[in-house]
Order: sequence, then structure tokens, then C-alpha cells
Amino acid sequence: MRKRAALDEGVRPGEIVLEHATRSFSVKADRGRTLKEMLIGRERAGGPAPVEALRDVSLRIEPGETVGIVGRNGAGKSSTLRVLSGIVPLNSGRVACGGQIVAQLELGAGFGRDFSGRENIFLNGALHGLTKEQIEARIDAIVAFSELGDFIDAPVSTYSSGMFLRLGFAIAAHLDADVLLIDEVLAVGDEAFQRKCEARIAEQIAAGATLVLVSHDAALIERTCERLIVLDGGEKVFDGPVGEGMPFYHRLMGTAEPVPSP
Amino acid sequence: MAHRYLFEQMVRRELRQKYKGSALGVLWYLINPLVLMGAYYLMFGVLFKVAGSDQPQHYPLFLLVGLVVWIFFSQAVISAAPSLLDQGALVRKARFPRETIPASVVTVQLVTFLALLALLTPVTIAVRGTGPGLLALPLVLACLFAFVLGFALAVSVLHAYFRDVAPILSAALLPWFFLSPIFFDPTTADRFSAHSNLVFILEWVNPVAPFIVAVRDEIYGGALPSGEVLAYIFVAAALALGGGLALFRRMQGELAVVV
Repeated sequence: MRKRAALDEGVRPGEIVLEHATRSFSVKADRGRTLKEMLIGRERAGGPAPVEALRDVSLRIEPGETVGIVGRNGAGKSSTLRVLSGIVPLNSGRVACGGQIVAQLELGAGFGRDFSGRENIFLNGALHGLTKEQIEARIDAIVAFSELGDFIDAPVSTYSSGMFLRLGFAIAAHLDADVLLIDEVLAVGDEAFQRKCEARIAEQIAAGATLVLVSHDAALIERTCERLIVLDGGEKVFDGPVGEGMPFYHRLMGTAEPVPSP
Repeated sequence: MAHRYLFEQMVRRELRQKYKGSALGVLWYLINPLVLMGAYYLMFGVLFKVAGSDQPQHYPLFLLVGLVVWIFFSQAVISAAPSLLDQGALVRKARFPRETIPASVVTVQLVTFLALLALLTPVTIAVRGTGPGLLALPLVLACLFAFVLGFALAVSVLHAYFRDVAPILSAALLPWFFLSPIFFDPTTADRFSAHSNLVFILEWVNPVAPFIVAVRDEIYGGALPSGEVLAYIFVAAALALGGGLALFRRMQGELAVVV
């Protein structure tokens, strides 16, 4: 794939580079255009101007770094992850992201509803470019991690939402990621499973993976990340150690410092 | 092909999602075209006798072979058109070669098509004998698949950006169907002999026509298609696949935003 090749051009596995990245989205309710509009040349003038989700953002993340991204709703956090994962191209600037990228933007996005959990493991693995043999080598670990037991052979349409997310995370967590891009999906299942997810992410980081985590959960970011990037209106307004970044972020949001826990 | 396994999984998913929970399941893929073929035979072969006095011998078989090719073409492009939108959740949230989505839809239709041919061919052999033409069938079918795939790739990506592509296509398919040499053979039908321009148009302007003629020459006629027809389908397959793939790759960048 041309796009796939370009995305890891000139970077090491686990390294992430954004140079003057700019991306805007039109915010029309109706996303598709019709040929009629094209031919008449009338692009439904008026309406809201395009939203600049990323405005000249540059950053470099070294392999093995743990980076949290915070900002208010619409600050460009999710757009950044979608750009880094190669799902959405930039309007201008350069993006490069090296190695096996595992983007957890929505757990279980590619699930076939009528497939069993086991079949979905194969489908999802294939979506990440794994071969049948590579998936077979991991399947026991994935099934065990998901704690689904016998449900693994039932269609996922019968799953509870917690089971669905657990399977989604279990698959993503076993893909040997060089880069982990996680968007607000760690509120998975009960507290015990959340701890398990965090532990699994820590294992992957220890094995050398780079983590980019988008979350509104300041405590989670302080636990898992060393570096913090604060986005506001599509621009990078802070980039540094998480210890300095969090106070900055809270000032930006106009919220008081959380009371330190005893 | 690096993503062969992904492709295989997508085809399985496509098969499972259609007709899920139906008693006959995948058999519907065969039943639909068979019913359609029965209806068209009744209408054009028996009631209206479209081809008139110069109706080809064993007309039901003549008709069925052409119909099977048309059904493959039309069903494949009709179901490929909305395929990227149907899989929007996947396109928006995961990075993988998006070509696999329309390609798996076309492949599912190809399987149906081959199954129908496997039912039809022994019957034509039994009724009409066989000839050397059958040996070249795989080559013709490969060209047909490439042609349909290229067309489907283009239609699917265009429809993702311009939502009236699928309605335009369905509107066009009906007259296209009647102008395709399915009920008649333009070169032998008496009523066409005075209109050589019309024959030329029916034979060569419609890119599906030479594929129908080639498959019918081989299965129904037991003969090799003419050199002209073979050259035509070769070029049409290469142009459609090359063009469709180029267009898809050119336009696919914004897919996650538009679907």
C-alpha cells in the first residue's frame, strides 16, 4: 500500500513525527456530496466554516516514550490520533509513525456481529496485517485475557457491552505494537479489568512500545504517562513533563487543582 | 499479496452478514438468480418469443448462459456501490487496505456465479455436446472478474463521495440489460442484418457484451471466441482494473472523513 509505506518513511519503529501538521474538517451535517451539487457548482454556501482540528502542530516522540494528550472537547485530540494512525490524511505538513501501529480508537470497531468471539479474533488480527499462523500463536493468550470463557465461541451479538469491550481490548493488547494509540477506551469493564488493562499496557511499554493516550482522566494519565501534550483549538499549547503539564492544563480549563490524595 | 488473509476473512464476513439467520442461508445466493432466470425465460423465451423465428437453438440454454454473466456483473456492482458506507465503522476507525471491502463483495458474487456455471455447464454439454472452447473458459472468466472488480472499485469509491452514484447505476442497469446481447445474438438475428451500425454498437460499444458473447461461445457454442472478442475482453479487463484501482487509490484518502 502506498499510504502504508509512506507512513513509516524515515522513522524508526516506535518513533512518531508530526511536522507542521494541519488538518481541517468541514462540519456539514450531510457528509456526502451529490453529483448535482458538483455539476451545478454550488457547494451549499454558508453554514459553519471548516473546523481546524490541527493547526501547524509539530512534535517528535521517541520510541518508548509515554505521552498523554489532554485538552477540552474539540481541541484536536482524537484528530491527532486519527492522523497518527494513518486513517485521516493531513491537509499539509508531514506525519510519520514507525512500526506496527495499534490504534484503539473504538474497541471492536471491525467486529462481525454474527461471528463468534474466536472468529473475530482472526478477523481483527487480519485487519492489523497478521497472518493466520501469527494469530493462532496468540489466540490462547487473547482468550485468557478476555476472561470470556466459553462465551468465546458464541456470536459477539450475544455479548454484553462489557464483554464486547474486553474482547476488543484483549485483541489489541496482543498485537505486538510498536506504537499504541489509545483514545479514551480504558474505561473498559469493571475496575479489576481496568487495572489489568493498565498492567498490560505497562508490560508493552516495558517491552519498548510507544504510548500515546488521549483521556480526560487526569489520574490515569499521571499514572501511565511521563510526557504531556496539551492541545487547545487545534494548537499545541504545552509539551513537557506531566508534572508541569497537569497544573498548566487545569489552569487552562479554569478548574481548580484537584485535592491531592493523602 | 500481503493481505491475502485479511481478504479471506472479509469474504467470510461478507458471506455471513448476508442472509444471516435465514433458513436457507448461503443457498439464497443461488436461488435468487435461478428464480430470475426462470422468470426471464418464461417472459422472453415462451411468452414474447423475443428472438422470433431466428430464435437460437436450445433457446433456454442460450438465454441462461447470457443471464448468468449479466447477473454476476450487475449484482457485483450494485452490491459493491454502498459497500464502503456499509462498513463505515471499520473505515473510520481502522487502517487497512480499503480495497478489500469492495473486492470481497465482488468475490462473494463470483462464487455464486461459478456455482451457477457449474450447474449450467454439464447441462449444456449433455444437450449440445462439447468443444475445444471450454478449455479457454478460465481465461475468459479471469478477464471477466478483473473487469467487474475494476468497475466495482470505481463505483464504490465514487459512491462514498457522491451519494447518487448508486441510484444512477441502478437506473442505468435496466436499459443496459435490455441492450446487452442476452436474449438475442446481434450477429445472426435476421432483423438486425439491415442495420450494420446497430449491430456494431450492440456488439462493441457496450463493454459487457463481448464478455457475454465470449462466455456463451464457449459454454453454449463449444467454440473458441473470435480473436477480436478475445482481444477486446483482454483490453477491457486491463483498462477497467487498472483504471478502477488507480481511481480508488487516488480518492481513498478522505474515505474516513466522508463515509
